[in-house]
Amino acid sequence: MKLFYYLLLLTSPVAYSQKMIIGKVTDKKGNPLPGTNVFLKGTYDGTTTNANGTFSFKTSEKDTAMVAASFVGFESSEQKITLTEKGADLVIQLEELANELNTVVITAGAFEASDEKRMAMLKPLDIVTTAGAAADITGAMQFLPGAQRVGEQEGLFVRGGSGQETKIVIDGMIVQNPFFSSLPDVQQRGRFNPFMFKGTSFSTGGYSAQYGQALSSVLLLNTTDKVSNNGLGISLNLANAGLNYDYANKNQSVSMVGYYGNLRPLFKLVRQNVEWLHEPEFKGSSLTYRLKTSKNGVLKVYGMYSDSHLSMNSKDPANESGKTKLVLRNNNAFTTSTYTDSWNEGRWSLNSGFSYSRNRDDMTFDSVGFDRFDERTQARLVLTRLLTGNNTILFGAEAHAINLSNDVDGKLYHLKDRYTAVFVESEIYITRQLAGRVGLRGEYSSLIGRANLAPRLSFAYKTGKYSQISLAAGQFYQNPDYRYLYLNKNLNYERADHLIVNYQIIKNQRTFRIETFYKNYAQLVREFTGEKFDANPYRFPWGATNNEGNGYARGFDFFWRDQKTIKNFDYWVTYSFVDSERLFQQFDQSATPTFISNHNISLITKKWFAKARTNVSMTYAFTSGRPYYNPNNEKFLSDKTPSVNNVSIQASKLQSIKGNLVIFYANVDNILNTKNVFTYRYTPDGKTRYAVGPQSYRSFFVGMQIMLSKKAKVEKNDF
Amino acid sequence: MKNLFAIAVVFMLSICAVMAQNEKYTQAMTEGIQALNSLDKAKPDVKTLQDISNRFERIASAEPKEWLPKYYAAYSNVILGFVGASLTEKDQYLDKANVLLKDAEGILGKPNDELLVMKAYQSQIHLAADPMNRYQEDGAKFSEYLEAAKAANAENPRIYYLEGSNLFFTPEEYGGGKKVAKPFLEKARQKFSAFKPQSAIHPDWGKVETEWMLSQSN
Repeated sequence: MKLFYYLLLLTSPVAYSQKMIIGKVTDKKGNPLPGTNVFLKGTYDGTTTNANGTFSFKTSEKDTAMVAASFVGFESSEQKITLTEKGADLVIQLEELANELNTVVITAGAFEASDEKRMAMLKPLDIVTTAGAAADITGAMQFLPGAQRVGEQEGLFVRGGSGQETKIVIDGMIVQNPFFSSLPDVQQRGRFNPFMFKGTSFSTGGYSAQYGQALSSVLLLNTTDKVSNNGLGISLNLANAGLNYDYANKNQSVSMVGYYGNLRPLFKLVRQNVEWLHEPEFKGSSLTYRLKTSKNGVLKVYGMYSDSHLSMNSKDPANESGKTKLVLRNNNAFTTSTYTDSWNEGRWSLNSGFSYSRNRDDMTFDSVGFDRFDERTQARLVLTRLLTGNNTILFGAEAHAINLSNDVDGKLYHLKDRYTAVFVESEIYITRQLAGRVGLRGEYSSLIGRANLAPRLSFAYKTGKYSQISLAAGQFYQNPDYRYLYLNKNLNYERADHLIVNYQIIKNQRTFRIETFYKNYAQLVREFTGEKFDANPYRFPWGATNNEGNGYARGFDFFWRDQKTIKNFDYWVTYSFVDSERLFQQFDQSATPTFISNHNISLITKKWFAKARTNVSMTYAFTSGRPYYNPNNEKFLSDKTPSVNNVSIQASKLQSIKGNLVIFYANVDNILNTKNVFTYRYTPDGKTRYAVGPQSYRSFFVGMQIMLSKKAKVEKNDF
Repeated sequence: MKNLFAIAVVFMLSICAVMAQNEKYTQAMTEGIQALNSLDKAKPDVKTLQDISNRFERIASAEPKEWLPKYYAAYSNVILGFVGASLTEKDQYLDKANVLLKDAEGILGKPNDELLVMKAYQSQIHLAADPMNRYQEDGAKFSEYLEAAKAANAENPRIYYLEGSNLFFTPEEYGGGKKVAKPFLEKARQKFSAFKPQSAIHPDWGKVETEWMLSQSN
């Protein structure tokens, strides 16, 4: 009978005496956390905190219990308690997890377009939807703060730097020929399709020790890991026709692109300021293969080949006829393969790559041959270790073999460089509000037989929930322009020292950013010809050279973006100011170089019309006058061109035709038909001045993209 | 004899305890599922959902060998990821849902069709939080998980419901719309009519939603 009572007692828990557990959950500042789950581990006993953060629940547990509290966005807590007759009264404090609002990010000098990082100021799609950028990556970058527009040359001119001082890097590998072959006074487009990339980081200086050989800036492009659509696509526009095909299965994907282009139809419609003898004609193809090798391992292989042919009469003041006939045939190949992986739950990660590029320009100026050839083979390996508290340390090395040759009217100049670099860099979070990045890079170039050691340093401090200040400083080395090295291999590296201070606030889809910088140039190459300054930008530097040049650039830039105030309307404004002087090249005194414009302003607007499925974008760009060389003015480089103004618009429309998606796009560049002048040149006698302007004034372009796969799905901004 | 009796008693007691525990589990789960089902489908209340998610997590803590509490906690967090106030908040819920699904996968040893469907659902809601920037990656994940779910159990009606609902909410201009969604929803309806959940606490949602969408598609 006794046993029966036992049984009853054991199987009916209600018979136990219950204890009350009460308390309150707050964050570290004492603010209540309603909705927190508070419970005894391993039991059903527990509850959710109310609006005041308080809780109470009953338990039949005895002696001790483990109280757990968890709330989304906070670190869960566990504590052991002793259960007395009275139960327990607890105060639980939870710590917020690191997130973009409470953790500082190192941002000085970096301007990112990314889907993944919320601190990014642009999204990759912003690049293709910006009017005036012509869906060209560098075209869009030149509207960013810190960039100066130089209409007659390709390249990114950053904070007083020349186009050669910016390196373009794809998945960590330097791109030897990022632009189509340079032509006299005609700006060239980039070779890469913006849709290839998932993220872009534009540095305005003070960049990471992972990269080198760029005095001013690096533009980092990261390729996508996946194809977006399966199936065939067709692109047709006034300049070219192309096909692309994507296929993906679970672990691998392939993308193929082939195109043929001819600018003759476009140039028949848009008046050209250039006298074309053979309008640019080009064809090319690319192949991308991606393989998921393991849970985190990804292998990507990308290869592209293109060739082009064109002929033009370029303005040449030095020539009696006033022009030079130029014929150019180019073929270019670029391959890169990268392998990335991570182990031990991300504590170790590997980035490695191998790349080969080869470029040949067969060129004649008035039937005098100027052939150019270059090839670059490079390998790179970076190992990153994630430490506790989000601290990281990375080690890496890269090696390049570069061969260059120039054939000037039968005389062959050849250069061979074996360049190696090692680097180490650590990101340290001292607190969530204060973080630092310390790096060191060592380089050796066999061509000049010298090594250098470049320290890099950045700090960032979070000043408020949405704002922070950062600072970056560092030394940056670059080999002198190879044209000097043909004749003098004793030259040293050119050097730049950067100091950057940045303040930014990102709140509620509005961004404000201001950055000020000072850049010191040292060891710049000077050339001594013993003759008068020769303004021809295509001259071969035959004079004696040394590294005694120097210079500075200082200024500030400003960025404001607002995506919130007006629905479906997005605009951003940038203003960049730079003041710079240099003593370099053939200069016999310090002066502002011809590629410097003191003021650059751009206003970019985008409006989405939901009903019409149309995106309309307008861009206004202002570039103040640049110095030009006037042989009749005693004061060296003291004349200035007028300012450059450009208004362009772009519209794109999405349409579904028989289940296939079609995107129509049209743009008009320089809609006001402003007769912009980029620079002036003089005839050798100094009597006649020539204006160098854009290839065409007002111009337009239309085209369409068809996606034949029924699976193709495209959202709002995908054109 | 006395010994034998004692053993019998202990045995009985332990069975009673197990049964009581099981009953407690089923009851707690049933209550949680009922609370989920009685939510206002058009406008679920955040606080109620948080409370439901907390309940399932507590059950999960008491029943570490059961995958269903984790599954339902994840389900609650995916819905929270839809109704959350800001992108940051939505992502916190959706990240949490992912962690819970990973735990459930760990309990089962490998993902089953229901977990894969829930992963697809998570991707869909993650995409919806910031479609312009996420359609590429999440769109691919969504189809990938549904394909995997089909391979595991093509009879699961929620696969077709998700396919249908995805198209239902995609504008016609992007290849979606009610018309395109209809065949998928009809297939879902057909699969729902044949579907028998393994137990009263196994996943059995989506039917009401399918019927609602079909009623809108005519």
